[in-house]
Amino acid sequence: MATEFVTAIMTSEIPAGGITAVDVRGTRVAVANVGGTYYAFDDACTHEQCSLSEEGEMTGTTVTCTCHGSEFDVRTGKVLAPPATVPVKVYPVRVAGDALQIEV
Amino acid sequence: MARRYVIIGASLTGATAAITLGEEGAEGTVTLIGAEHEPPYERPPLSKAYLRGEVPFDKALVRPAAFYAEHGIETMFGTRVTRIDPSARFVELEDHRRVPFDALLIATGGRNRRVSIPGGDLEGIYGLRTVQDADRIREEMIAGRRVVVVGMGFIGSEVAASLRQKGLNVVAIDPSKTPLFRVLGEAVGQTIADLHRAHGVRTIFEDTVATFEGTRRVSSVVTKGGLRLECDFVVVGIGIEPAVDMLEGSGIVVDNGVVVDEYCETNVSGVYAAGDVANHYHPIFDRRIRVEHWQNAIKQGAAAARNMLGKRVVYDEIHWFWSDQYDANLQYAGFHTKWEQLVVRGRLDSPSYLACYVNDGRVDAAVGLNRAKDVRRVMPLIKSRRAVDLEKLRNEGLDLRSLHASP
Repeated sequence: MATEFVTAIMTSEIPAGGITAVDVRGTRVAVANVGGTYYAFDDACTHEQCSLSEEGEMTGTTVTCTCHGSEFDVRTGKVLAPPATVPVKVYPVRVAGDALQIEV
Repeated sequence: MARRYVIIGASLTGATAAITLGEEGAEGTVTLIGAEHEPPYERPPLSKAYLRGEVPFDKALVRPAAFYAEHGIETMFGTRVTRIDPSARFVELEDHRRVPFDALLIATGGRNRRVSIPGGDLEGIYGLRTVQDADRIREEMIAGRRVVVVGMGFIGSEVAASLRQKGLNVVAIDPSKTPLFRVLGEAVGQTIADLHRAHGVRTIFEDTVATFEGTRRVSSVVTKGGLRLECDFVVVGIGIEPAVDMLEGSGIVVDNGVVVDEYCETNVSGVYAAGDVANHYHPIFDRRIRVEHWQNAIKQGAAAARNMLGKRVVYDEIHWFWSDQYDANLQYAGFHTKWEQLVVRGRLDSPSYLACYVNDGRVDAAVGLNRAKDVRRVMPLIKSRRAVDLEKLRNEGLDLRSLHASP
């Protein structure tokens, strides 16, 4: 199935410095608000599938999965600290009016 | 300048040190020597997901097997070091070959503590340290079988949980009043006892094993308190002792492991130690600490490597570890041996709390049950060594980050 931008959430629902999870076409996606810039990535940590919207802590553009300490760059999904070894999948986003659209 | 970097102990600490040496520009040779035959692997899965058969061994490898050769790291696995000569600058292997070094890292870890209990050499009694140990236990893990877990420290507790999750009937015995008593104390330990009982473990505290009985193979455990526990097999988890026998006669100071300073260096210049085996001076807590956990293995391995390169990096990590049992996530941060006050966010009789070990108004350490974020947020308070407002610490309405020192 081809990917397309899907309206996922109102930007006002994502607190600054926070992470919110949304279901986009059956995929659970975490959305982070870093000073008004939005990033979307798989909600499940690649280590042991903890929810990054629930257990994740944002510091700048780094999300720390507090379950076991894995860190990811939310811009690229790259692993910044173990125990995770597999990058988290990231999704393109765009703001359309008051809404955030995510390409899945 | 080309130097010979030698690391003994090819596990998480040793491998991390070898990788760090390469990443940070070591010129010369890096040799990683380890007694185990496998490439370096992480041990946390051995009592949890790997033991339960949920992940393959490959997932536990620190790096894929081919990584080391591809990155110019010489490996000697399945090779035991028997002696170190720090003045002549070589280590000696069991076949008497000598490997010379300019800088040496001792990352030999530990081996399971043994106690001489009558019947202790019967078949069906297992310890857990290596992947072979885990494989032996896995072969015994058939739902409905009866197992006695001796010792309810972290390994015993995690193994008891994994065995219950696989449907075995588990009896756990420990001489203390609760699981994890030595580290966490009675009040917190009681909550872990409750967790195990809620999952169907029969717990026996303040009692110890008198004898293992059976013909050829263990069939029951008799306690000093007079209980007879029929069983199909036994797992013993009563801690490790540092693996330091190769240091005998070396002049390298050993006292509860290899004694090192805040630069991971021993009393012998150019000889370092890290990981489970290292009793290191911790500048924040102003005392020596020996830590047997995953994060220390990585962070201290990396710090030791940087110091082998002459970078003079102080190792002052706030120690942290997790222990997953059933669906509960237990985490500990900091360091404490005693405490004046136990300050709890939430309630100990609930499924989620943070308990802080407080001395002189300072948080020295904290343990969280299903409180991962709070554990993360309390760490800067521990590191600051400053007194905190205990009412605010207790107040769940307040984000712990609001107690951090303003920059």
